[in-house]
Amino acid sequence: MNRSLSLLAIAFASSLLLLAQAPTPTPSPNPANLATLRTASGDKQITIAHQNGNTYFAADEVIAALGGSVTKDGNGFKAALNNTVAAFGTDSRFGVVKDDLIEMPVAPVTIDNRPFVPWQFFQGFLVRASGLDATWDAAGKILQVHPAQTTAAGVTVSVANVQGISKVVLTLTAPADYNIVKEPGAYTIRFKTAIRAPYAEQAHDDPNVAKTTFTGNDLRIQLTAPDVVADAYRLENPFRVVLDLRKGAAVAPGTPQPLNSTRPVEAPGIHTIVIDPGHGGKEVGAIGPGGLMEKDATLALCQKLAAALEARLKTRVVLTRNDDTVVPLDQRTAIANQYHADLFLSVHMNAVIVKGAHGAETYFLSLDASDKLAEKAAELENASKSAAAPAASSDLKLMLWDLAQQEYLNESSRLAQAVQEEMNRITGIQSRGVKQAPFKVLIGATMPAALVEVAFITNPEEESKIKSDAFQKSVVDAITTAVERYKTDYETRIGIVQPPPPATTAPTAPVTTTTKPATRTGT
Amino acid sequence: MRRAVVLSLAILIAAGGCKKKPLSANLNAENKVAVRPVTLFFEGPEMLLVRETRNVALPENPAGALSVVARELIKGSSNAGVPPIFPRDTVVRATFLLPDGTAFVDLGGNTLTQGWGTGSHEELMAIYSVVQTVTTNFPDAKRVRILINDEPAETLAGHVNLSRALLPSATYVAR
Repeated sequence: MNRSLSLLAIAFASSLLLLAQAPTPTPSPNPANLATLRTASGDKQITIAHQNGNTYFAADEVIAALGGSVTKDGNGFKAALNNTVAAFGTDSRFGVVKDDLIEMPVAPVTIDNRPFVPWQFFQGFLVRASGLDATWDAAGKILQVHPAQTTAAGVTVSVANVQGISKVVLTLTAPADYNIVKEPGAYTIRFKTAIRAPYAEQAHDDPNVAKTTFTGNDLRIQLTAPDVVADAYRLENPFRVVLDLRKGAAVAPGTPQPLNSTRPVEAPGIHTIVIDPGHGGKEVGAIGPGGLMEKDATLALCQKLAAALEARLKTRVVLTRNDDTVVPLDQRTAIANQYHADLFLSVHMNAVIVKGAHGAETYFLSLDASDKLAEKAAELENASKSAAAPAASSDLKLMLWDLAQQEYLNESSRLAQAVQEEMNRITGIQSRGVKQAPFKVLIGATMPAALVEVAFITNPEEESKIKSDAFQKSVVDAITTAVERYKTDYETRIGIVQPPPPATTAPTAPVTTTTKPATRTGT
Repeated sequence: MRRAVVLSLAILIAAGGCKKKPLSANLNAENKVAVRPVTLFFEGPEMLLVRETRNVALPENPAGALSVVARELIKGSSNAGVPPIFPRDTVVRATFLLPDGTAFVDLGGNTLTQGWGTGSHEELMAIYSVVQTVTTNFPDAKRVRILINDEPAETLAGHVNLSRALLPSATYVAR
């Protein structure tokens, strides 16, 4: 027993001795594992590592050198600097900071239990935490931290033609101010901050766009004909500048436009309606038990609806798609804005796992999901009232784009109510009521907008109905009547038509919902 | 070999009660785990979310517990009569909880990756089952942002905007 204790004591003492001699759990100070961190206060050596052709940086050393710290947090790590915290882990190439993502080319790794990250982590984190930015000079092995103003935003360009409109979409890695200059046969987008051009010049097989050319911070869009004109606007998440180019007269593009200026001054009333057949192409939507696809059902119904609306209301009706193609959700709203539509109605078929569900539902947009956005917008609005806040003013426009539909929520609820009431009149349809939801396709619409779920395609009985001409006709009649009711009500309220006699009028109900409005508070 | 010796010593010292604990990928070694009740949300017969309580072994650290709870949700209801909301091949890839109250839940699986063909009601139920479950069990989580395969997703199935974090909403929960 004594002998055992002695051996244990010797082993423990030896362990302590070994520990005292053991290196700290960092890669050895091999010059290949060292780089220079260059900041305004001087140079400092930092540890780097190489794995599978990637270079990683000791996050704890770099952040500590900048005055912050990195700690273990659950199954990941937490970096803190200037009261800003970023979380990252070895299972994802995305870190998170301030409700935003830090994109890295590869996921971080741990070496001897220490976090090593690609240099892009510092780029994403520092911009948000300190107004600094980072760049990596691989040849000189210098990680340089410098003011963020010198950052050049990456740009990608896409050109696509939708119903005769050529959409030139510039996607930027960071928001940037710009001006758009009209030249003979071309538009030039002049960015006020540095950009990284993806190419020098590229030709396009497009009816309106001949080629795009980058020179410095300018992008020149060469048109195919002098009468091609453009409307311009921008979208968020990611930041995009969009030019819709088409032949004929249009609103002249200018600097990024405030919310209301995207709509021209024109005769008041309902003149243009955009109907949006849900899904399309490879985005088939829900599928019924008999194989009917939502994308086919919505297109067939919307084509008939468009014809009925044009015939009865004598308004212009535009479909966001007229065939079996994919149209991105934000492009559907953009089409409505492009046509300066007075109403936007998206048509879908519903699906549910509960058996026997049936009936129609009509939605308008819920913005309650965006408390931080609303707070930020209010913050920026207040800031922009002060003299020294030009950047805030620019950001505010960006936020307002996301909040565009908010201005029309009251009218959207009236439109949804009218549609739901008329759908309820269809025999055999159980009302599921007017609801609010944060639907992507309704965000950014600068006009009253609603989404109707006609019936449950997952219910075999309703699937059969959806296929039938008789049911389609009744739905078309119901929605047409609803739009007509809304149009009459709206035009009466704004005073361009005389109110009809009370006995023959069914004014649209005041803004009510059959479901409890969502709260804006957290738990 | 030298690294193995150092690691062994580190474990020995930790076992001896040294304050300098080693870092480990094993959550159970880092966090005290206890069986605790969690509240999960599944779609009930009234087509609204209903609560289901389940006892789950959870680490005390919310950051670690979040993944466990999210995975319990995706497993589905313990009531065989309640069908799963999410496609059966859905997985929880990772979760994060930021100090500002935003929880990130990264989902994956073949169906969500290829494009989930379902209607708006089912999509709302699926998304808010995650939002309600996370915010109910973790008071520090005020809002939830859902990612698909590490990437910011526009929607889960073509309807609900996922480009921002979502607040819990009583609209989708049965009284």
